[in-house]
Amino acid sequence: MATVQETVHPSAVKTAPPAIEVSHLTKAFYDSEGDRVTVAVSDVGFSVARGEFVCIVGPSGCGKTTVLRILADLEQKLSGTVKLHSATPPAMVFQEASVLPWLTVAENIAFPLSLKGVSRAEQEARVRDLLALTGLTEFAKARPHQLSGGMKQRVSVARALVDDREILLMDEPFGALDEQTRLVLQQELLRIWETTGKTVVFITHSVDEALTLADRVLVMSPRPGTLVANLTVPFERPRDVVEMRRDKRFWDMTYEVWRLLASPARD
Amino acid sequence: MNAAPITLTKDEWRRLKAPARRERIFRLASYFSPLLLLLLWELSSQFNLIDRRFFPAPSAIAGTAWRMTVSFELFEHIGATLRRVGIGYMLGAVPGIVIGLILGLSLPVRRLLGPIFSALYPVPKIAILPLILLIFGVGDASKFVVIAIGVFFLMLYNTMGGVMQTPQIYMDVAKNAGASRFQTFRRIAFPAALPSIFTGLKLAAGSSYIIIAAAEFLGARNGVGFFIWASWQTFAVSRMFVGIVVISVMGYLTILALEALERRFVPWAKH
Repeated sequence: MATVQETVHPSAVKTAPPAIEVSHLTKAFYDSEGDRVTVAVSDVGFSVARGEFVCIVGPSGCGKTTVLRILADLEQKLSGTVKLHSATPPAMVFQEASVLPWLTVAENIAFPLSLKGVSRAEQEARVRDLLALTGLTEFAKARPHQLSGGMKQRVSVARALVDDREILLMDEPFGALDEQTRLVLQQELLRIWETTGKTVVFITHSVDEALTLADRVLVMSPRPGTLVANLTVPFERPRDVVEMRRDKRFWDMTYEVWRLLASPARD
Repeated sequence: MNAAPITLTKDEWRRLKAPARRERIFRLASYFSPLLLLLLWELSSQFNLIDRRFFPAPSAIAGTAWRMTVSFELFEHIGATLRRVGIGYMLGAVPGIVIGLILGLSLPVRRLLGPIFSALYPVPKIAILPLILLIFGVGDASKFVVIAIGVFFLMLYNTMGGVMQTPQIYMDVAKNAGASRFQTFRRIAFPAALPSIFTGLKLAAGSSYIIIAAAEFLGARNGVGFFIWASWQTFAVSRMFVGIVVISVMGYLTILALEALERRFVPWAKH
């Protein structure tokens, strides 16, 4: 795959210019019927280094998805600055079943390429690679309604990787899955991330998931969402999602994040 | 899973299987109930229990149908009606689907043009038939137009509804994948609306036959509707029944064909 960059340990790239810079980001929604304004996100600022895996964790309704949707240009910010230092627009993996039901698995994965008019042969070659990478090879011709939830999310991940964009935005992609499937997919996502070297921003409400995956965890407060902590996750790579649960630091950090989430927004 | 061999008494087996057996008997009976009605009709007519002038025996109607079939008289009428319905249907369905997609996708267009269509939709198509005859004459053109108008509105509203029900996430997927407006239209809105489009096509097929029958009553020299009307005027009741059965079967077969197309082109929807 042309996409494979050298796997650089995240700490080594900290000095390079960041891939994402967000400062003083505010987003509000106006409900014209009730004449009400809801501030979803207030004064959020963070940056993500190239090749870094960052998780944003927070209670539901804290605006973490809104932040991601603004990064993906699916939502307009009210004020603040958002800078993406990337040659390609970010690719998004969505929360729920976003697999298009009228296309087969292979056609779903090829969708972004087919929009760009990439040649059929090239599409097929690229899709074959991604089917293999995500363990979907034998389901290439299946329709989404024949797939389990976990399989559908594999398709979403493959589709987001297919045109090789630098930044990957993931909006609670495994949120609806059962614990076991989720663990398997987390391990596979780590493997894929380690081979592709993408910059990842991953939204989750699961503390456990954030610590399992991330180099850094950003903790958000309830609405209006704002950042309350920025924690570096110390575990070495490559990680084993099961084995790392034997590490006492994992549980110490779990406690630390829970304490932040449970405490009411300070000052 | 229980690996132990199943041991049930004869009586338990019988009771376990009883509901399925009953279901089989009823299903078998369901095929025969319409035939039973026909038989009742036949006997009542044969024994003069009902007025044979209004309700000739099914066997007499079948005999008339057979004579008309071998003389090819029937096919001329069927051909004329099919041609009118087919062309009128196409003329209404294609613009109905395209405009439905546009209205479904664009809120400003819907706000602007929606009220015009809402105002025109409730006008009964048969009520404007004289007007259409006046404008387009008594030839086939007026039949195409009146069917097209009926089909157009059904397709417009069903397609628009289908697009508006498209989950927002599919639109987000398209935007994130870099789709242009036209690509979103063709690759997302159209397939997402396809199940509703097929519902519309089936409804429109049914109403096409209602409209064509009425239109052929009034101004036509052939067609199944004309044939029913002409039979009435000459009090040829069994011929009239043949016409009624023929146009019903045409409608039924059209719906069956559309359902086959639906299974072929909407394989992801539950049927």
